[in-house]
Amino acid sequence: MTEIVAEEFPIETSSALSVDSLTVTFPLGPRRRLTAIEDVSLDLARGDSLGIVGESGCGKTTLARCIVGLQRPDRGTIRIDGDVVGAKRNAQERRAVQLVFQDPYSSLNPRMTIGAMLVQLLATHDLARGPDAEERSRELLALVGLPADALTRHPGAFSGGQRQRIAIARALAVEPRLIVADEPVSALDVSIQATILELFADLRDRLGISLVMISHNLAAVRHVCDRVAVMYLGKVVEVGDTQEVFADPRHPYTRSLLNAVPQVKRPPPAHRLRLVGEPPSPLSRPTGCSFHPRCPRAEAICSVEEPALLSVEGLTMRKAACHFRNDDPLAIITVPPEALDG
Amino acid sequence: MSTPFLEVRDLTVSVARGDERFVAVDHISFSVSAGDAFGIVGESGSGKSLTLRAIMALLPGSARLEGGTILLDGEELAATGHGARAERRGRVAMVFQDPLSALNPVRKIGEQVAEVPRHVLGRSRRESHERAIELLGLVGIPDPARRAESYPHQLSGGMRQRVAIAMALGAEPALLLCDEPTTALDVTVQAQVLDLIDKLRVELGLAVLFVSHDLGVVRELCRDVAVMYTGRLVEKGPTAELLQRPHHPYTLGLLHAVVDLDDPVGVLRPIGGALPDPLHLPSGCSFHPRCPLATEECSQSVPPLVPLASSDSLRDGTRESACFHSDLVEAP
Repeated sequence: MTEIVAEEFPIETSSALSVDSLTVTFPLGPRRRLTAIEDVSLDLARGDSLGIVGESGCGKTTLARCIVGLQRPDRGTIRIDGDVVGAKRNAQERRAVQLVFQDPYSSLNPRMTIGAMLVQLLATHDLARGPDAEERSRELLALVGLPADALTRHPGAFSGGQRQRIAIARALAVEPRLIVADEPVSALDVSIQATILELFADLRDRLGISLVMISHNLAAVRHVCDRVAVMYLGKVVEVGDTQEVFADPRHPYTRSLLNAVPQVKRPPPAHRLRLVGEPPSPLSRPTGCSFHPRCPRAEAICSVEEPALLSVEGLTMRKAACHFRNDDPLAIITVPPEALDG
Repeated sequence: MSTPFLEVRDLTVSVARGDERFVAVDHISFSVSAGDAFGIVGESGSGKSLTLRAIMALLPGSARLEGGTILLDGEELAATGHGARAERRGRVAMVFQDPLSALNPVRKIGEQVAEVPRHVLGRSRRESHERAIELLGLVGIPDPARRAESYPHQLSGGMRQRVAIAMALGAEPALLLCDEPTTALDVTVQAQVLDLIDKLRVELGLAVLFVSHDLGVVRELCRDVAVMYTGRLVEKGPTAELLQRPHHPYTLGLLHAVVDLDDPVGVLRPIGGALPDPLHLPSGCSFHPRCPLATEECSQSVPPLVPLASSDSLRDGTRESACFHSDLVEAP
């Protein structure tokens, strides 16, 4: 296997989050290990929001679990506000990063009123007690757009969207420096999703919260996140400014992912870029670029040499792990007929 | 326009919750022609899946058919009872959201796909096996003869859904019912499965009834669409026209609420309020508490689904809307 040296990301002290060469493997048997994420480096400036997108098995949730300290990486470091944090964290470090889960139906204790939950949480972290804690709870609910009378009710009295607001209020209660949201809208109904996305965008603008949003919903990421990282089979294949990446993707996987999203308000495009096959198992990673067996742009080099995540010429802050990242992006669209499925 | 292959008239289904019952599907009517795809879109609890199950005579125990007729090729189908499934066998098939629940985990997929040719069509063991391989090839499983020996857990999600579709096609049905068959799949795989269903529709002349919460998916696949809210059809018409120029405030609200990839950033317009509790539906039009156009009339009587007065209906499909103020709905 060729040695891959990813271009180092500058570790700025002002970063809310900086992930450096993170690798996570899981044991599968006496001699086998599955590499869930490999050599992932990311950087998030304070007050910024980063979307992590990719399909199932790409490692996005494992990355989120590492960031919040639920998963110990094999290698690599995670810095929150410049401080290195391990998987074992003290109360202070746990407070710094909060996770919002996908399913608001299972993430709230059904037997506790919202008020009791928030008051207990504030007391546990020594943030407020007694009347102060109640006052703070009311403020938190107002912050996420819920009425104060919600405090006396149980989670069962709320709809999915309202529960997700409660989960966000709970995350905000401990004044975290970073919020990690793992698919925060995918369990919600279509008409409700926008309200939660709006809330995240609003919190980002109003409180200057740093946010990592994991999602397979590209449109949602585009609305909330300043920057986006696209993952495929455990690696970041493209990273950059969200608007720019979506407007001018330089990795063929990013392009096909964007192309596969069905649009509601526009007619389907006349020419579709259809990927053949499905993401391969991380157990049988293809040689070279792991995307090459599905890639409409692949050439001989792609099955031999793995492209590193490198800057794209003429695009600031953009990196892509493709040998052809500097080529005319339109060249990617020319689809050989055998790439058209069906 | 060809005569409808499936015709549903005034279908009504009630569901029990505790000691109470509520109407989950409320007098809905629509039809699907051979070689056509018809979509029903709605959010959770809209009754879209129950509609499919009623057509398939697969209603869950808590649900009860209260009325309506289902015509297949002009002939009325028994709604329930012993004969109901037999009448559908070989004519109607269904594909579910989760292909794993449709497949037996301990049997090879080839055997499972061969089951319908063998036991329903009465083919020989060898013929059934050959037919299974043929069907697996038809749904785009590479190297079908070898893959027939695989177990479901050895396949990816997209491949499992292809196998489930192959099983559904076993008895050469004329109507394929799809209950969110791509929701559990990744977006690039979803695109492949949508292409497959579209190909089967064209090549086999299948009538496809496709239920989804995803307007984009329905737009890709279905020529016509009905929008469902709290058990009622609130709008119906050719998909592209309906999404371009909705005539029901709920459809418009949905269009505003969903985010497309090329929408301007920062403009999110969710529908206010929440889906109502089906046991306590608002009076009149059940959407009126969330509707910006609601007047007193809307809380008093249920607006019927009627052809638009302006009838800017093009082609062969008519536009219908269940709103007293359908002419006031602004273009998105």
